[in-house]
Amino acid sequence: MAETVNILVVDDEKGIREGCRRILIGEGYAVDVAENGKQALEMAKAKPYDLLLVDLMMPVMGGIELMEEVRQLDQEIIMIVITGFATVETAVEAMKHGAYDYIPKPFTPEQLVSVLNRGLERRRLSIEAEKLREERDQKLLEVASEKSKLHTIVNSMADGIIVINRERQLVLWNPALIKMLNLNVKLEPGKDIDEIIREKHLIEIINKAFSPDSSQYTVFSEEIELTGAESKILMVNVACVRDEQGRDLGVVSTFRDITGLKEVEEVKSQFVTMVAHELRAPLAAVEGYLTAYLTGVAGTDPQFNRQMLERARLRAQSLMELVNDLLQFARLESKKVARKKELLDMADIVINTVELMRQQGASKDLIFQLDIPEKLPLIEADRTEMEQLITNLVSNAIKYNVKNGKVIVSAIPNTHFLNIKVTDTGIGIEEESLPCIFDEFYRVQGPKTRYTTGTGLGLAIVKRIVESHFGLIEVESKVDKGTTFTVKLPLKEINKE
Amino acid sequence: MGKKRILIIDDDVDFIDLNRAVLENSGFEVVTAFSGREGMDKVKFELPDLILLDLMMEKHDTGFSFAKAIKADPRYKDIPILMISSVAGETGYDFSQDLDGYWMKTDGFINKPVAPEELVKRINSLLEGAKKG
Repeated sequence: MAETVNILVVDDEKGIREGCRRILIGEGYAVDVAENGKQALEMAKAKPYDLLLVDLMMPVMGGIELMEEVRQLDQEIIMIVITGFATVETAVEAMKHGAYDYIPKPFTPEQLVSVLNRGLERRRLSIEAEKLREERDQKLLEVASEKSKLHTIVNSMADGIIVINRERQLVLWNPALIKMLNLNVKLEPGKDIDEIIREKHLIEIINKAFSPDSSQYTVFSEEIELTGAESKILMVNVACVRDEQGRDLGVVSTFRDITGLKEVEEVKSQFVTMVAHELRAPLAAVEGYLTAYLTGVAGTDPQFNRQMLERARLRAQSLMELVNDLLQFARLESKKVARKKELLDMADIVINTVELMRQQGASKDLIFQLDIPEKLPLIEADRTEMEQLITNLVSNAIKYNVKNGKVIVSAIPNTHFLNIKVTDTGIGIEEESLPCIFDEFYRVQGPKTRYTTGTGLGLAIVKRIVESHFGLIEVESKVDKGTTFTVKLPLKEINKE
Repeated sequence: MGKKRILIIDDDVDFIDLNRAVLENSGFEVVTAFSGREGMDKVKFELPDLILLDLMMEKHDTGFSFAKAIKADPRYKDIPILMISSVAGETGYDFSQDLDGYWMKTDGFINKPVAPEELVKRINSLLEGAKKG
């Protein structure tokens, strides 16, 4: 022991006391002496001792009584009895009262030291054992708290988790798993996994983690499709857990529901296909006209050849518009988070936008009419998006109008909304086409719209802008009479002035 | 023997205008239709020698159903149909007469964009085959 060992020698014979003291100090111990039990007890109360050497026969308080008292103070203290009556009876008596050993008088210094060392070794061991016990209790406490932490974490995960041992029995799971796999069997540790999971494919994946040739990889992922009441697609991650010798201990499988992601992916790839198709048609036309012009394969009539180039230019322009609309579309998507909204007077925006577009109606001799009151309540909106909205609606009103037609834009506030109406006196939209006009790339097909270029994105963009401003859009149309789009934008607040 | 009459059915006005010029310049007579419905009328009243048909029009499969209807009608089933598809390549779909002809009821496929010389060559060979048959 690194610390100094404290020994108390209790004997009424001064010779023995002093003799022991000298021997023990010589051995490197710290030694105190007492001449009777009472004195010794006081000293033991004041200072902790590792070992007591006790004479049994003493005045005032005898050895037996002392030992009983001291034992109360320290359970681990070593007490060795010095006795002149080296009989088996006294020895047994002393041991009963808590003595560790005894030394018959007279004894040699070697005998004393040897008995004493044995006693001290015993004390060291018992202290060590106590320490270990405390540590173990502490560890158990920590383990218990770790376990509950783990449980809390596992149970609050959105991903499903299932752990099985090498006998393919259930060890751990969480509520997300039950929900994800639609399990209706009662789960309990030790249950065979085949009784829990019905999907054969899933079992095969888990088995794969166990199979011997999986030694190269320990983690792999697969997508599985669950059919049933509601079909879903899950991403399964399977990891085999092994010990230091590389033996399988079990398999941890986690499940993530990626049905939503898959849907988004699908919509996206459909969109890409549509865009590719939409880009291809005008490009093919441009390429075809130019080829025909350059090779003369369509004849050499100069008027027709010039016409081809003009059509090629028109299609190239519409291609440019399409690309611009696609960019606008992408911007609307990414702006979902941060839209720059400010208080706007829509009167300015409508008047300025219509002014800019007036020229486009010139070839049809269109009449533009604006019905906007002096003072409009303000709305909270993104300025460029509002300009885009009016531009797209007025552009359609021009494109699908007839010669000498009219384009009327009006703004009417009511209690909660500002209603902006864009009306044309054009060709109108057939009833069966109305539900589709806001779809991406939808364009009404017919003899009257054949030479009208467009991207098929104008109204889709309008709808998105309106919806992102919590507004509504309505359409009324009569074939050969005209179409009216009504945009309802929520007012910022009822004017308090 | 008079000029061969070709019916072009496509919803892209530029495709029609351009190929009308190309085919007329190559000595064909050309009639046009912008939809499957209009095309059916033109088949009845103009009795073309060959139909140049776009696969995708108002609906994605308008070309298919049109071709099927023609091939099911004993009066018209011998009119060769050359199907133009623009879905090949980057969209991942591809068609060929050998693999898909048996169910698509057409006599030939050609991909958009169509090279004029190739188009004329294909039309001539289909007309040649029809004559023999």
